[in-house]
Amino acid sequence: MTRSKTSAGVLTWGTIPKRVPSILQDLPIIFAGFALFYALLSMTHYWLAPANAETAIQLRVSALPKYAMFSVLRIAIAYLFSLAFTLVYGYIAAYNARAEKFMIPLLDTLQSIPVLSFLPGVMLSMVALFPTRQLGVELGSILLIFTGQVWNMTFSFYSSLKNIPREMREVAQVYRWSWWQRFTQMELPYAAIGLVWNSMMSVAGGWFFLMACEMFILGNRDLRLPGLGSYLQTAANAGDTRAIVWGLSVMIGIIVLIDQLIWRPVIAWSEKFKFEQVESVESPHSFVLDFLQRSKILPFLARVAVRPVRECLSLYFANRQAAASQNRKPGAIGKWISRALLGAMLAGVAYAFVKMIILLVGLTRAELHGIFVGAGATLLRVAFTLVLAGLWTIPAGVIVGLRPKLSAIAQPLAQIAASVPATALFPIILLVLIRAGGGLGIGSIVLLLLGTQWYILFNVIAGAMAIPTDLKEVCNVFRFNKLERWRELYLPGIFPYLVTGFVTASGGAWNASIIAEYFRFKGHTYTVTGLGSVISDATDTGNYRVLIGATILMAMMVVTINRLLWRRLYALAATRFKLEG
Amino acid sequence: MTPPMAERLQELISQGKWEPAFELLRELKPAAAADLIMTMRFEEQQLLFRQLPIPLAASIINHLPYFHAYVLLHSRPVQEMAAIVEAMKQAERDHFLDALPEEAWTSLMDELAEAGSATEPPAVQTPETGREKEVAARPAADEKPIIEARGIEKSFTQKDGSEIQVIAPVDLSLESGTIIALLGPSGSGKSTLLRILSGLAAPTAGKVLWHGEPVGECSPNVAIVFQSFALFPWLTVLENVESPLLARGMEHEERHRRALKALDSVGLKNFETAYPKELSGGMKQRVGFARALAVEPEVLFMDEPFSALDVLTAENLRGDLMELWLAKKIPTRSIFIVTHNIEEAVLLADRVIVLGRNPARIRADFRIALPQPRDRKSAAFFPYVDYIYKVMTKPELTLAPPSATAKQPTPMLPHARPGGVAGLLELLMDRGGEEDLYHVAETLLLEVDDLLPILDAATMLGFATAHEGDVKITPPGRTFAEADIPTRKRLFREALTHVPLMQQIVTALENKSDHTMPVEFFRDLLDERLPAHDVEQQIETVLNWGRYADIFTYDSASDRLRLILAGEAANSQEAAPLH
Repeated sequence: MTRSKTSAGVLTWGTIPKRVPSILQDLPIIFAGFALFYALLSMTHYWLAPANAETAIQLRVSALPKYAMFSVLRIAIAYLFSLAFTLVYGYIAAYNARAEKFMIPLLDTLQSIPVLSFLPGVMLSMVALFPTRQLGVELGSILLIFTGQVWNMTFSFYSSLKNIPREMREVAQVYRWSWWQRFTQMELPYAAIGLVWNSMMSVAGGWFFLMACEMFILGNRDLRLPGLGSYLQTAANAGDTRAIVWGLSVMIGIIVLIDQLIWRPVIAWSEKFKFEQVESVESPHSFVLDFLQRSKILPFLARVAVRPVRECLSLYFANRQAAASQNRKPGAIGKWISRALLGAMLAGVAYAFVKMIILLVGLTRAELHGIFVGAGATLLRVAFTLVLAGLWTIPAGVIVGLRPKLSAIAQPLAQIAASVPATALFPIILLVLIRAGGGLGIGSIVLLLLGTQWYILFNVIAGAMAIPTDLKEVCNVFRFNKLERWRELYLPGIFPYLVTGFVTASGGAWNASIIAEYFRFKGHTYTVTGLGSVISDATDTGNYRVLIGATILMAMMVVTINRLLWRRLYALAATRFKLEG
Repeated sequence: MTPPMAERLQELISQGKWEPAFELLRELKPAAAADLIMTMRFEEQQLLFRQLPIPLAASIINHLPYFHAYVLLHSRPVQEMAAIVEAMKQAERDHFLDALPEEAWTSLMDELAEAGSATEPPAVQTPETGREKEVAARPAADEKPIIEARGIEKSFTQKDGSEIQVIAPVDLSLESGTIIALLGPSGSGKSTLLRILSGLAAPTAGKVLWHGEPVGECSPNVAIVFQSFALFPWLTVLENVESPLLARGMEHEERHRRALKALDSVGLKNFETAYPKELSGGMKQRVGFARALAVEPEVLFMDEPFSALDVLTAENLRGDLMELWLAKKIPTRSIFIVTHNIEEAVLLADRVIVLGRNPARIRADFRIALPQPRDRKSAAFFPYVDYIYKVMTKPELTLAPPSATAKQPTPMLPHARPGGVAGLLELLMDRGGEEDLYHVAETLLLEVDDLLPILDAATMLGFATAHEGDVKITPPGRTFAEADIPTRKRLFREALTHVPLMQQIVTALENKSDHTMPVEFFRDLLDERLPAHDVEQQIETVLNWGRYADIFTYDSASDRLRLILAGEAANSQEAAPLH
């Protein structure tokens, strides 16, 4: 603002050339606005069209931009749903002690349920809601993406709320901040950084499961939605290598673009929410953010539209708060409503539970056998994948992390590699494997590995970088040999990071097994024994008993492993292997 | 009064010529003699007063400031102290006793009663009148208090359902026009009391009245300044200061104007657009002050506002605050400051309240009658500091009101390391075996919070004695300070035989066939009696002491203690790490 004042006041030859590009600078922003508007318009148009579930997916390259746009919008809308859910659920769980007791374990369980298990329920109810419009199937697909994105964001927001420093809360309390002021000036900013990082992870997860979420068989119905995921899947079915490569390139291009245009600027911007008292020396940087901040149109919009609205809302809630504190009446009606809601919810849960039991009782011996054998196979597969991932990422991560110059080059490269969803690469990998004589047995492990190894690698690099220099010098002084160094310093030093990496990787691997163990390729369905393939197959054939039984088993196994193994290792990491100053 | 006379007196004292010194004092009127004594250094005063014949002491004592009188009286043995009080004229004695703060008075009465029944008459006559006069003497008594706390208590429920009381029933009122400092050892519930008075936390029992109305039903106009500043890093300085005004629904222009005014008053003009992390600690706390002052609070609460700042910055900020307050540039009517810095309290406050711990109760509540601005080098300053040290170092039990229930709290181990105790003893040896606590704290650059546990540990082990704000090394302490490390460990071990908790542990370990026990067992034992935080401190101290003394070894992986048997001790002495 100060800049615009000076340039308007002192009009010299020196200032004019600067002004002209500043108007030009705003052109991309205006164009981006129009593009978004057009995209939304065509999306609504398509949504409201009569239901046509069996859209033929064209493998022409010229169809790709439209498909890409549909997929991006789907992920974006699912993300907005996730954000809204996160804020509401996290808020209630953090502030209502009674609700917290069941909301958090529920979240833990939901997180461990694979995306496909939600498919029949979500899809059937959405289609039933809008039987004549495309909207039903679309909403179903969006909700599926939502179920893959939302849980970790909610956890992050909840724990941020729980960790707000006491004195900050006391400031809000002693000055009687309104609910709105608390939310916008304290809670949301405090949670911002965690929310941004988890949003990135969630959207990456959305791309990973995109193929499963855009094209699926539900009983006797073959549902496919126009999008990048279904394009890739169709191309894989047809064995069209050229289309696969094209689709893949577009997908990677979009992911890189989104990273540069959205995530980098958002991360750089969210720096200001860092809870630190001293300015850090190095902070993330984004050209796009600089560009946006230099523009004229955004500050103008902020001044004209955002600020008055914000002011208005703040004052409204402040006055309401003041009025409420003067005549405080216990809301008898509100109490009854919440009681009634709770009662209805409990009844619903009980009904669903009974229904589920009835379904489960119908499981045949053969089906039970399949589920349990599958669970064992997947457990072994996940464990083997984690060991394999650890075997290469630990040495590689430590070597990279200990050499600052090397990590400066390797880290961005690894980040790009990690941002490519493994599922998109899968058709190519499978093609190579089948030519080489291998099958899905190896393929599934490669896919799990591709999907999960990055979490471990990044954490190991971070851990190795955090090993204090003086400890490394001690090793030099005492002439530790390689073995001693690893045993005494590197492994204990990276341990807490390693645990974090393994926890994320293990959760991801279980979830990814539904895709890795069951793949349609060149008109042929490849499967290997496993819980993931049991779930995928049950979804395809509409066998809900098996679907529910297998899902429950998987959720139970994941939650049990978390409780028995990872949580203990976490505790160990937090006490014994904590490196302090 | 006259310098030559003071010099003469000092000369006589330094040469140990007591009789001529007494003659000199007898020639003066008692008031003049008292003034003469006051011109000397406090150490010299004590030296002289210890020698004074009882009638002479009795005639002078009432003319000394009462803190001085109280402190000097206590430099004599109890019997002599009682005799001096006895020998005072009736009117003077009454005047002297009336002037004493309640706690000092109670404690003196106890001591006199201890000295013998002969001193009973004055003691019995004065209690009621003494108290009434003390209340009546308060200048603000004509005004109604702003905040009045009646019988407030706070207790927390432990995991096992038992209750731990952190604040015993406390009555307290904040009157207009005063700065009140709340002092107490760490963990004594100072901050909790502040939060209850300001309406942030609710007491478990009792009530807090704000202008006679329960605090929960009205919205008191208060502000709090925090030790950690509690600024929002994502808001600019201006937005931080504006935030409480926004909460009051103030329009944009008015908000802006008031915030700028508040920033200007703390010297932060032109920093509006900065973010807190760009500012130094002192400037951050200035923002904290500006935010508090922007709401023009009737009572300004401060929770250790200067503790996170370096000495110079703190001094500077204190000066600025006092300037605002004394020049009445702020509409605030009362300031309530929690601190653990005794000097700070004497420097700022009109009234000082000292809390005891486990649970917190008021041990002293008195006014500081020095004019502002105060000089910490002035003669009248020191006695207040010394008096507070004395109240804080005095064993709690003697001061506890007799109505306290028979339940005796188990003696806690002071949270100090053996190294700290050794350091204190070495310093005492250096200073000839005895030193004033205030000077010890100054020399070691320790806050009273850090010094007291070390002192308590030294006393508990019998290495030193504390008396009236002084600390004195004992013969065993002397041996310990001069010994080499293995001998020190042995002495420490022997001294620990008098510590009940340590003995309990040793007995338990001895009775096990393998001589090991999980620490968890002792933690559970303590859990029943102490809040969780204290339990951790106790365990940490036990481990520190026991390992230093080679009583047991501790394996952190299995969290177990193992007794070191007599034969092993010799070997482990070399192996044991030095603390």
